[in-house]
Amino acid sequence: MKYVGKSIQRIDAFEKVTGSAEYAGDIELPGMLYTKLLLSPYAHAKIKSIDFSDALKVPGVITIAIGEDFPFRIGLYVNDRNILARKKVRWVGEPVAAVVAENLEAAEEAIELIKVDYEPLPPVLDVRDALKPDAPLVHEELGEYAHSPAFNPIPGTNIANRFVVKKGNVEEGFKKSDVIVENEFLMPQVSHVPMEPHTCIGQYMKDGSIKIWTSAQSPFAIRYILGYSLGVPLHKISVYVPYVGGGFGGKAGINFEPLVVLLSKKAGYRPVKLELTREEQFMVAPVRQGFYGKIKTGVTRDGKIMAEKILYVFDAGAYADYGVNIGRAAGYSCTGPYYVPNLEGESLTVYTNHPWGTAFRGFGHFEFLWAIERQMEIVAAEIGMDPIEFRLKNALLPGLTTPTGEKLREDAGRIDQCIKAVAEKIGWGTPPVKITPNKIRAKGIAALWKAPAMPPNAASSAIIKLNEDGTFLLSVGVTEIGQGTVTALAQIVAEELSVPVEKIKVVPFRHTDLTPYSWQTVASRNLFMEGRAVIRAARDVKEQILEVASQVLRVPKDDLEIEDEKVYVKGRPEWSLQLKDIAAGYVYPNGNTIGGPIIGRGYYVGSRLTYLDPETGQGYPALKWTFGAQAVEIELDTETGEIKILKLVSAFDVGKAINPMLVEGQIVGGCVQSISLGMWEEYKYDKNGRMINPNLTDYKIARAGDIPEEHIVVIIENPQKDGPYGARGVGELSMLSVPPAIANAIFHATGVNINNLPLSFENIWKALKEKR
Amino acid sequence: MLPKIEYSCPQTLEELFEILEKYKEQAKVLAGGTDLLVSLRDRIEKARHIVDIKKIKELEKLEYREGEGLVIGATVTLRKILESRVVKERYPVLWEAVRTIGDMILKNRATLVGNICNASPAADSAPALLILEAKVRILSREGFREVPIENFFTGVKKTILKPWEIVKEVFVPEPPRNHFGRYLKMMRVMSEDLSVVGVAGLGYREGGDVKIRLAYSSVAPTPLRIREAEEAFLKPGTIEEKIERAVQIAAEKVSPISDVRGSAEYRLHLVKVLTRRLLKQIVEVV
Repeated sequence: MKYVGKSIQRIDAFEKVTGSAEYAGDIELPGMLYTKLLLSPYAHAKIKSIDFSDALKVPGVITIAIGEDFPFRIGLYVNDRNILARKKVRWVGEPVAAVVAENLEAAEEAIELIKVDYEPLPPVLDVRDALKPDAPLVHEELGEYAHSPAFNPIPGTNIANRFVVKKGNVEEGFKKSDVIVENEFLMPQVSHVPMEPHTCIGQYMKDGSIKIWTSAQSPFAIRYILGYSLGVPLHKISVYVPYVGGGFGGKAGINFEPLVVLLSKKAGYRPVKLELTREEQFMVAPVRQGFYGKIKTGVTRDGKIMAEKILYVFDAGAYADYGVNIGRAAGYSCTGPYYVPNLEGESLTVYTNHPWGTAFRGFGHFEFLWAIERQMEIVAAEIGMDPIEFRLKNALLPGLTTPTGEKLREDAGRIDQCIKAVAEKIGWGTPPVKITPNKIRAKGIAALWKAPAMPPNAASSAIIKLNEDGTFLLSVGVTEIGQGTVTALAQIVAEELSVPVEKIKVVPFRHTDLTPYSWQTVASRNLFMEGRAVIRAARDVKEQILEVASQVLRVPKDDLEIEDEKVYVKGRPEWSLQLKDIAAGYVYPNGNTIGGPIIGRGYYVGSRLTYLDPETGQGYPALKWTFGAQAVEIELDTETGEIKILKLVSAFDVGKAINPMLVEGQIVGGCVQSISLGMWEEYKYDKNGRMINPNLTDYKIARAGDIPEEHIVVIIENPQKDGPYGARGVGELSMLSVPPAIANAIFHATGVNINNLPLSFENIWKALKEKR
Repeated sequence: MLPKIEYSCPQTLEELFEILEKYKEQAKVLAGGTDLLVSLRDRIEKARHIVDIKKIKELEKLEYREGEGLVIGATVTLRKILESRVVKERYPVLWEAVRTIGDMILKNRATLVGNICNASPAADSAPALLILEAKVRILSREGFREVPIENFFTGVKKTILKPWEIVKEVFVPEPPRNHFGRYLKMMRVMSEDLSVVGVAGLGYREGGDVKIRLAYSSVAPTPLRIREAEEAFLKPGTIEEKIERAVQIAAEKVSPISDVRGSAEYRLHLVKVLTRRLLKQIVEVV
């Protein structure tokens, strides 16, 4: 192959490096107004009254909105979210009022003059407390919320969704086990910390149509939810998305777009812009949910897992409109990449008075893999088996069934190969080494898997146009959030149509009026699904080219071939046409014209996916499974708790690397994020539920100096037959399972099990101290 | 967003003092601005007027005189200090401390004098300046005074500086001959961070005896020199005993708090570990 499988430079590199790429923050419109939000100081309180009469007097202020101005709810899977807080506030940081003004200064001045009278309510600040029968309710009206049929909220409780998966007979399985091990695990809420904070502009037009410019991952989801919630037909809503400065899931679904649109209407139909500051990004924007897990595993002495009973509880925070799917995704993958014959899994999404949770790269999986991969290590130690051997013995290989009863397809990826690859490259099998009295080096390993968490009908499509000079335009709905998918898609077009990548432009923005549909840019689904749609669109183009060329060249279509921007008769390259000569119709010397502008289209939906059985969770949720493994060698300072990652090895079965350099880039970037989340990132709250580190001084994220010096990336390619050129997704996968690999290394170094994240130096020190 | 503030940029000290006198507490001096602007934006500091001193020539001095010492002017950036060979060679502990402050983007703007005027307990340059027995040179219309840095800090974010005064420069005298000095800093990450605990120490030989100086960041309301711990080395005993005594005294003299960056318990533990490690390194070299 000429283009697929080659490490070409990403097609947006020049624009991004030179700063000419367009982002939502760059967009300024004539007559534009700016909005600033007043945030709740309480985690849970009744709003008794709001007085903004003084604020309205500030020169430049156009209007002020409060929750009662917008009396309806929105949401992706559950309609539980208010546009602005109504009747009560549910987290410290929930927007209570919005000032719209000619400039930000006026809006800020006015915000400080708004007086809100609150009546504090008892907050729910621990997800385990939220499940107690006497817990205060975060959503009293849960029973009234519209929701997708795939979800199961329990009115009168804080449970936004209960997902259950049942397979085999757990009691029997435990009876046949020699050893039963049970552990609990915890993980805090974290932020996506995109380089570009949430930014959007909305304009309500006088004719009732709506225009949105936004830094969002999913323009079509925004259009659909907005249309559904406001009762506006979709052809009257247009959503424009330029390049996105990092999403990581935080810009998926729908966020502040309805707010700016409704503010625009209230402000006399002028466009209104909202641009969060870094501090607001921490306080107001959605976060990754917190997590509590409890796993009971039964094994035989010779290392076969017989049964597992699993409880996952997700701290959804104040709203769970997207969040319900996180618990569901964790539920149907709950065992990790292992075969468990007897299983009872329950995954709960639970409201609390923390910031609201949403999708986050690898959602559900980063969380439960922390628990499962620690549990596997502990179980292996309990029965005195090497953890690699134990994992391989229970590896979920083709032909075995997943938690939902899906028999793994024969061309699925190979978890065993991933585990063996990292074990070999890290040099598994040597004991920990004490290099000074207080410094130990040790190794740890963890495996991973994930399928796209999406409804069975999630769709993708593509349009390819042939321009008059023989160049091509590819239009797709997947947004460019840094992941590089569009470069790989351009390579696929190049391969299919035998045309250099330089001659293909991927339209650098998404506009729902012009762009072909894509459900969302999430779930590591887009290379696979857009990839298939693009292949079909390219073949459609090809068919149209051949149709015209066969008339002009007077041979049947199947005697023609396209190469080097020409269509020619096989074996007779001298009988040929240039593509540009048929791009807009072929013109004969006398002026007669046949054919016309060539526009190819293609779509793709997953094959034979199903909803899951509400009682047992059985069914087919997975478009494809991607497998991988991580291994680390760390140096631990047992006196201070400091750890340094000396070496990191990552292996992923990606099926086929369309662009190996971009795959490696994703893996390196994902692993850095994984280290950062595992070691440092954490929403810290005071006793009233107020975040105390809403800035990059005290919410630490990895920087260049924190990246391991040595990172070996192993790309394994067992092609999946229905993937584009055999490819599977890897974008999210790359950031899974580094934290359990680190904790497993700490365990091997010291015998100490750390089951709560983050693995901050102080937390490690505390854990080591408790053991002494 | 920043509140509405007037801004001026005087070219001479005379103009500067005029402004300071006029606005008194309402004026804030800006050099690098890396602390001030954040505090103003977060409404921790309030000011009506910002006086930018970057254009005043007399404050730009970075000068070393053999046998006397080093002068670091109020507008000398951390980047400049890091690039100075003489600082690296003659004052390695100061150089090492400056290197740990923020990232290069910050170092291009932030100043050493700003670091001490901000008077954070976590100021990384302060422990080094304390053990180098630096002097703070303060200027106002009324005249000039020179204060040992040990007397400069009075509390969290508080100094002896009057609203109409500025720190013109810091003077760092010639350090003891053949001294060895280091700054050990515990951070939450490996790259860049404020100190969870920082320890600056230096040692040298006088006669046959080892002399030690020790100072800390992030363990008390101000950066703290602990002379009692240093004195452990003047008493009889083996080197190991002296080190342990110094560690114990240091641990008694600090008063760390629990905050978002670390617990008091962890900090106290780090004081012991870092002091012990530092002293072992020092006695090995000197």
